[in-house]
Amino acid sequence: MGVGMSALLGSVAEIANLVSSFESSSGDDGGLFWLLAAGPASAVGTYWAIYRYYRNTDKSHNFERETAIESQPITGADNKVDERNGTTDKSIPGDNRANHRSRVKRVP
Amino acid sequence: MSDTDPTSFGAEQLGNEPVVETPEDLAEALGADPNAPKTIDTENKRLDDGVNRCPKCASTDIQLRPSTGMLVCLFCRHEWSEERVEERIAGNGSLQDLKGTHIASGATAINTEAAGVLTLKCAGCGSEVIVNIDETTSARCHWCRHVLSVNEQVPNGAVPDAVLPFSLTHDQALAAIKQFAGKRKLFAHRKFKQEFAPENVVGVYLPYMIIDSNASADVVGKGEIETRRYTRGTGDNKTTYYDADVYELSRHVDFTVDDLIIESSAERANMDTFVNTNNVINTILPFDTKNAVEWNANYLVGFTSEKRDKDTETVQPLLEHQLLSIARSEVMSSTQRYDRGVRWETERLDVHGTRWVSMYLPVWLYSYYHVEHGKPMVHYIAVNGRTGETMGSVPVSHPRLLFAALTIGTVVESFALAILWASV
Repeated sequence: MGVGMSALLGSVAEIANLVSSFESSSGDDGGLFWLLAAGPASAVGTYWAIYRYYRNTDKSHNFERETAIESQPITGADNKVDERNGTTDKSIPGDNRANHRSRVKRVP
Repeated sequence: MSDTDPTSFGAEQLGNEPVVETPEDLAEALGADPNAPKTIDTENKRLDDGVNRCPKCASTDIQLRPSTGMLVCLFCRHEWSEERVEERIAGNGSLQDLKGTHIASGATAINTEAAGVLTLKCAGCGSEVIVNIDETTSARCHWCRHVLSVNEQVPNGAVPDAVLPFSLTHDQALAAIKQFAGKRKLFAHRKFKQEFAPENVVGVYLPYMIIDSNASADVVGKGEIETRRYTRGTGDNKTTYYDADVYELSRHVDFTVDDLIIESSAERANMDTFVNTNNVINTILPFDTKNAVEWNANYLVGFTSEKRDKDTETVQPLLEHQLLSIARSEVMSSTQRYDRGVRWETERLDVHGTRWVSMYLPVWLYSYYHVEHGKPMVHYIAVNGRTGETMGSVPVSHPRLLFAALTIGTVVESFALAILWASV
């Protein structure tokens, strides 16, 4: 019950942050009407947060961190190949650096 | 080498032929395939199929005492433990020297033709007792009441290389499950709350492959470093732009992994959260597998167990997936300078050596069968039988959840409308 309520309060805090971020970005993105989405977004967020806390469907063994691993010093190369100027993307498209379990093309 | 050294004789006789120094060299010299998997014998030779007695009083009424993690004779209270297997399997060698495939004898290929029943001859009275080894590894002689146990590594996956005994008691598991469910009462399904009976928790030994690996991995991709950030436009039409240098980067890592734990039961390895809750059992890993001991069926007395039905070959793809995930995790720290992120595009894995051991690991399991919209699902609350780590799935009451979500949504929307109203 205590933790359930704290999850609930946590999502309320997230929503408050969301509202304040909408407020601060209103100058950039054309008015405060984005705020109208805050109600439905917080409802969906609350539903999902509580569901996940009860059902734990997102949990699994963190073998990357919880197993005894010994690595030799990492080697490699870094070569500048291009420049991207004037992009509005905040990060590289398809950033998968932190998504260790998503497999990419395997080469022999 | 001395004259009496058996390997020196071979070297002298063969002239320029390779020196035979190890059993592997000898096997190669005799024409055996050097890449064939090597078997490590882990059978507990001290025990027989049938009657295994207390070393002090010769009684056969033996079981595990979880509070000490040792076997206890129910007649004279003598306590003892089987030998740890780690030293016998791993030896003193470094994992960096691990080459080829090494499979412990309890993890070898399952023979689906293997008999599901075994006839044990009771050493107490001479009668023959049939044991269904698909279901159990011990039985009581119906004539003289001696306990008979199966210790031979029958090729049906029922007898593993090692067992990690429970060290968490039933009462401790019960408390952990009550605490876990107690924190999830408010939105739990009404029927779950009514029917919650944590005293029904059962101790289960689940089958796993414990795998040591020596591997190398390469990853190649693109990374971006921000060189400039600027804003154009005025008023409501401001847009932020970024300039970045694009790099092609590659990383190589040599690494060893000690005791990676992977499910060796096909049913448990299926972690589709739409149809089952096996992921919660996976979450309570890892275990202190270094403390696993040689097989003795008496460790299972009073507990249930599931049989292994996956071989090294069927586990291999998942092992490679986990090794690649580990490699990607290991190289992450070397890419900090790419503040706009990295997109890995290709990856490569070389597995130089693996060592496979099948093991029973202890799990306290509370299960609740729940049908929702005609879809049945078993919800587990699992407690690690060594560390006490607990994870579970509690069925939710969707109307309550909807009510809470709508309440929060309405409150937030009211605030949003008030802000809009004030700004107009």
